Amino acid sequence: MAKEVSSKPKQKLHVFDIVNYIVFIIIGLCILVPIWKVLIDSLNRVGVYQFQLWPSQFTLDGYRTIIETTALYRPFINSIITTVLGTLLGLVLSTLGGYVLVQFDMPGRNFLAYLLLFTMIFSGGMIPEYLVMKKLGLVNSMWILVVKHGMNVYNLVLMRNFFEGIPASLYEAAKIDGCSPMGIFFKIVLPLSKAALASIGLMFAVTVWNDYSTVQIYITDPNQTNFQYKLRTMVMDGDTPTTSYNVSQTTLFNAGIIAAILPFMILYPFLQKYFVTGVNIGAVKE
Amino acid sequence: MSKKKEVITSGGVVVREKPLKLRIWNNRGYYIMFIPVLVFLIIIHYWPLLGIRYSFFDYYPGRQAPTYVGFKHFQSMFKTAAFWTSFKNTLELSVIKLIITTVSSVVVSIFLNEMGNLLAKKSLQTIIYLPHFMSWAVVASIFSLFLSPSSTGLVNGMLKSWGVIDPNGQGIYFLASKDWWRPIFYIINIWKETGWGTIIFLATLSGINPELYEAADIDGATRMQKIRYVTVPALMNTIITVLILNLAKVMNMFESVFVLYNSNVYDVSDVVSTYIYRQSFAVARPNYGYSTAVGLFKSLVGCFLVLVCNWASKKTRGRGII
Repeated sequence: MAKEVSSKPKQKLHVFDIVNYIVFIIIGLCILVPIWKVLIDSLNRVGVYQFQLWPSQFTLDGYRTIIETTALYRPFINSIITTVLGTLLGLVLSTLGGYVLVQFDMPGRNFLAYLLLFTMIFSGGMIPEYLVMKKLGLVNSMWILVVKHGMNVYNLVLMRNFFEGIPASLYEAAKIDGCSPMGIFFKIVLPLSKAALASIGLMFAVTVWNDYSTVQIYITDPNQTNFQYKLRTMVMDGDTPTTSYNVSQTTLFNAGIIAAILPFMILYPFLQKYFVTGVNIGAVKE
Repeated sequence: MSKKKEVITSGGVVVREKPLKLRIWNNRGYYIMFIPVLVFLIIIHYWPLLGIRYSFFDYYPGRQAPTYVGFKHFQSMFKTAAFWTSFKNTLELSVIKLIITTVSSVVVSIFLNEMGNLLAKKSLQTIIYLPHFMSWAVVASIFSLFLSPSSTGLVNGMLKSWGVIDPNGQGIYFLASKDWWRPIFYIINIWKETGWGTIIFLATLSGINPELYEAADIDGATRMQKIRYVTVPALMNTIITVLILNLAKVMNMFESVFVLYNSNVYDVSDVVSTYIYRQSFAVARPNYGYSTAVGLFKSLVGCFLVLVCNWASKKTRGRGII
């Protein structure tokens, strides 16, 4: 009798779990199919519509063309330079700002906080920003990507939230020992914030690497564009690289897409936990 | 800040507060550290505010000096059908997108939370977070190839081979069709953002007291009943938070539309930011005054939404969003 009672809910559990797994396999496939299709098409000499698990005519010529197309070099190098510098500038500004904002006995702290918050509520808009950048000589220059993304109020606030979690007694002890604000910053705050630096740094890197609209608005000089912009003009506007190999246009498009996401996809499995940390720093105050 | 003459340190010792000048002097290091932030803040956010004055000017770049025209641009803006279309589209696209991606994130996170096998759960999370890190330019490229009416588009190819559409015909150009553009836009958004949206809900779910589930077990609740009566109520607060936080940002929609739309579907896809972009950079004789005026209107609506959401947030969860 007792056995029957306990086995009944277990049976239900079983059905639920199976359905759950099936649904999630379908969801996983929905996410992966478009990406897999791109990957396989980039390795296929001919363009086909069918979904294949393995290319019907395997070739690396698509990638050879991408590597040999000199018009893609500049955008790729620009993307790397702007991503590295944008991330560095972003980390410098957000750690400095976040650190100053947790100095609760500093006169004017609230004013500085409001100065930052106001920018999240109201902005000048596309044209006033464009005109300022023009005055600064940043129109048609890839440095716009560094300057524009380096100052990110949202990430600064995330950093501040993280610094708030560092016990105030640590600061005070260091102050009593005669440590300067800069000394505390470098010797105490930054070493304790490695996880936040990694996750917020990654957010900056992804934002700059993935940026398309800033280039679209500010940059017309082909030597100053980034890889995302170049890729989109290639695929969507049909600006195909010329190739000496016998491969279809579709192969080239797909190889270009893979090239744009490859650097990130290689690192992604190792970095995933830092991204999740970043979201949770933001959610910590909920 | 405070007028009180006495302050209590973290050690609980009551000391006399130092005079303001001395406190400023003592904190000089922090002010110096804020200077770089201030410089960039002014360049990126505050200097452009001066440019808002061009809303009241005729400004043809490179042709003549701006001339004052008063509220002319606002009057002509409110009379322009294309502007109203873009305004309505912005609200419709972003609100519907927000609702469906939030719903799908909630559903996925609830059932992901029910998954017993940790390895399966972790691998699924890795997969569903993935599209979030692809740029809109990449996502648009992937889906424009996927949905392409040419001989290599998967969707059209399959529809043809199944005989749903004429195998020798043109195929459906999904991204240039007024009927299809919006559903496709929503589907792409679900594809890209559902997984990432689950993080915040999964964090909430991991914080639910297991005793609640044990109590439900004792009452003989089934898995679905436990979801209905324990999990969903526990998520409500987070759902409201996410909706409010994102509602404040609905006017910002730009890149996701820009990379996917084209002149055939302006009626259903044009949003305020793309409208401003075209008025400034894609017309023969742009009037920056007019685009600035539209931008100012957009900023004011956005500002209003943030304040409303902040008020709603204070009402519902006792804490503002700003």
